[in-house]
Amino acid sequence: MSKRKKKTAARRKKASPPKQRRWFGKIWRLGLLLVGIFTGLMLPWVIYLNYQVTTEFEGRKWDLPSHVYARALDLYQGALLSRSDLELELKAAGYRAASDASRPGLYRVSGSTVDIYRRSFGFHDGFEESRKVRVRLGSGKVTAVSSLPAGQSLDLFRLEPSEIAAIYPLQKEDRTLIRIEQAPPLLVTGLQSVEDRNFKHHPGVDLRGILRAAFANLKAGKAVQGGSTLTQQLVKNYFLTHDRTIARKFNEAIMALLLEAHYGKSEILEAYLNEVFLGQQGAFAVHGFGQASLFYFDQPLDRLEANQIALLIGLVKGASYYNPRRHPERARGRRNQVLASFAETGLLTEAQARQQAALPLGVTEKPRTRGTRYHAFVDLVRRQLAQVYQEDDLKTEGLRIFTTLAPLVQEKAQAAVSEGLKQLEARGLSPTLQAAMVVADISTGEVQGLVGDRNPNRAGFNRAIHARRQIGSVIKPLVYLLALEHKQDYSLVSRIMDEPISLRQADGSAWSPSNYDNKSHGEVTLLEALTRSYNQATVRLGMNIGVNHLVSRIQQLGVQANVDPVPSIFLGAVELTPLEVTQIYQSIAAGGFSVPLRSLIAVQTADGNELVRYPLRMVPQPNREAIAVLNYALTQVVEQGTASALPGLLAQSGTIAGKTGTTNDRRDSWFVGYTRNQVAVSWVGEDDNRPAGVTGSNAAMQLWGRLFRQLPIESVDLRMPDGAYWLWVDRNSGLLTLEDCEGAVQIPFVDGSGPAQSTACMSARQDDEESFWRKLLGKKKQ
Amino acid sequence: MARKSNNMTHWPRQILAWALVLLLSGCASTAPGPSATQQPEVEARVREPARQDSDGIQVFPLQNPAVKELLADASNAEQTGDYGQAASYLERALRIQPRDPEILQSMAEVQLQMQDYEQALNFATRSYDIGPRVGEICSRNWRTISVSKEYLGDSKGSVDAEKKAAVCMNTKPRGL
Repeated sequence: MSKRKKKTAARRKKASPPKQRRWFGKIWRLGLLLVGIFTGLMLPWVIYLNYQVTTEFEGRKWDLPSHVYARALDLYQGALLSRSDLELELKAAGYRAASDASRPGLYRVSGSTVDIYRRSFGFHDGFEESRKVRVRLGSGKVTAVSSLPAGQSLDLFRLEPSEIAAIYPLQKEDRTLIRIEQAPPLLVTGLQSVEDRNFKHHPGVDLRGILRAAFANLKAGKAVQGGSTLTQQLVKNYFLTHDRTIARKFNEAIMALLLEAHYGKSEILEAYLNEVFLGQQGAFAVHGFGQASLFYFDQPLDRLEANQIALLIGLVKGASYYNPRRHPERARGRRNQVLASFAETGLLTEAQARQQAALPLGVTEKPRTRGTRYHAFVDLVRRQLAQVYQEDDLKTEGLRIFTTLAPLVQEKAQAAVSEGLKQLEARGLSPTLQAAMVVADISTGEVQGLVGDRNPNRAGFNRAIHARRQIGSVIKPLVYLLALEHKQDYSLVSRIMDEPISLRQADGSAWSPSNYDNKSHGEVTLLEALTRSYNQATVRLGMNIGVNHLVSRIQQLGVQANVDPVPSIFLGAVELTPLEVTQIYQSIAAGGFSVPLRSLIAVQTADGNELVRYPLRMVPQPNREAIAVLNYALTQVVEQGTASALPGLLAQSGTIAGKTGTTNDRRDSWFVGYTRNQVAVSWVGEDDNRPAGVTGSNAAMQLWGRLFRQLPIESVDLRMPDGAYWLWVDRNSGLLTLEDCEGAVQIPFVDGSGPAQSTACMSARQDDEESFWRKLLGKKKQ
Repeated sequence: MARKSNNMTHWPRQILAWALVLLLSGCASTAPGPSATQQPEVEARVREPARQDSDGIQVFPLQNPAVKELLADASNAEQTGDYGQAASYLERALRIQPRDPEILQSMAEVQLQMQDYEQALNFATRSYDIGPRVGEICSRNWRTISVSKEYLGDSKGSVDAEKKAAVCMNTKPRGL
């Protein structure tokens, strides 16, 4: 090739054209040479760069995540809600306290009054405009709700739900990606005003910008301005290395030009919004504004205010230098610079910018541990989504998933678990104890809170859903329920023997259960045996009823677990998860109307069309009169039985039903309890199932008590349905008696199971009454 | 141009297709299947006789204004045939007052409209279990149970339930 070139050159010399021509020819040849070199060397390089940058760009395009919402909080006169509870809910939904609720997303507290400016929101059952209201609270209740500024009273108002997670229902990985159309406009325009004002017009590299920066840098004598376009920054983010060589810059510029040649401005900007490095959490980098919004403010991007958006944009310049948690003053300075730039470009008025600049940073104290907020609950959401919906539905982009989570219940349950375990540790129990808790609404089956680890922010093994543990005495109420269903044989005052019992097991060995206190208590009533959780009496009763009946009853109550039909199940040798135990007790607490526990209410597409709804459905249990009688018996567990220490843990009085559970060698501690409308189950134990020194009342009940000390307590509904009624009986003999006879107590009975005989007191009174009427009517006794 | 005329030739076929669709949908709405419970039936077989039974006796407890508003919303949605939305309002009301027999019975009636007889039966039963078991609501409970059982093929149960509706006007049962 070079030979031929020489030849051509020689021929041209011979032609000896004028001097200028020769010069032109030289330049021409040099040009050709350069083109040759470029084609030979640069083109492959450019093709290589092109391949790299487009692969990266295409590879980083993900589907939009689905948005998971908590339940919407209803506010109405009489709603059981304290001011601090309302504030907790407001904060969870991303509201900020202000001196005036002047914009959507702000609230103002003044004494017992809270003014709220609600954002507009598409609820699962309809869109509602933004609206300003005043809520008055007193003695743990909402006393009035009125609209502002007019002041007319409102019967019902709801807050938009807090967004608890952005998930990919079919994947384990969570990223918070955004679409450019959904990004706050101020973010999109503001970012350009600060980082790249010429973004819309340049081809990827902005020569004017580079010159301006170079001039500014020269003038200042150091690097004060960067000339990088957003596109160049995006490229830099893709191949994060920190060397600032000319070659690197050159490559960046080429790749930026290539990106711009391939993709539109909005695609590039969208990628930038999702890619830019905005912080560091341990070993993980925080990429993108969606993620950063959660990392710094614990709120989705669309709930941020101008000053918060400014802070995030400011971080582009140096996420670690301007880290608002480490260097709040620097961050504030940078944020206010950005706000000034907003004002300069007309995105905010001067007054707005000033007002925003005066606000505190509003950054949460600590970033949430990686992963979603309330991820134990979100875990349940994923599981139920997979059970209920077709995989194809879940592939739809940007679903809106409406759940049953009650943030205030969830927060309190989390605190009850982690603080409760710390307290147990202080009392000498193991620091490695683990726990789980489930709280549900009895009538609707809606799971309001779920905790699966002592550290609620730790993602990982979710004990509430996955830990199968022996349930111990928590099973006993079912044995007594079966007895009460045999109304001709048993009532709560029937007597059974609590004495040593020996049963032959399948392997031929003998099984002789003992009581917790290692004593036998002789003849006791069913009520006593249940409330004091006597093992020997329960096994004897169970043997009269039959193991298979118990197994099928467990299944009937909504739990599809494999249960071995062996006598030891009367004492809870059955492994169930806390969620399954909650399901059993939901049925009992609801008077025999089983409702499948659910975390989902509805799922919509991104534009608000309903995809699926998960309606309330109930399944009635047989023998609901016996269940009603059992409910009373379980209130007596708290009143005078193994859970009698519970009321001392609470702040309010009220009738509560409950049951403690402890397993062999104190490996598991259970407590199940319910009020009128809520059922909650707590479990405490070691992950490796070693003896943990726990009992139902010394551990799980403590956590339960901690939770309900902070929740309103409404008394259990003890009205009897058809087929059961209350009778006055004598406390000791169990005979029918009258209310004012000594030792009279009122106890419910299944119709036909009441005592046939009456006390001497009652008979005497009846004789008296009879003779009175006879005298009055002048009749002779026959 | 040729294309346009080509399109034109499709017109008669399109009109025919639309006419067929309209005809079919007309059929669907005018000739319901034998098991369809239309609103008039709930009105005629549950609400109206219950009103007559009760003869003006109302035993509803004082109602929370929030619940009242939601019941009214549900009733409006039901009038327009949007039973899903009606059920949604009632569920919201149940979150506020989970043990309100009136809400539960309204839900039972909406389930009847949706031809989910099993759920209609269950909601009405729950309403009766925790309700006053006397008066108009009791009568609506049993009449809903009766209609549901009839559609579920339990004719004896249906007749028995109908009889129980009459007893609602007597004194309160034991156990309350």
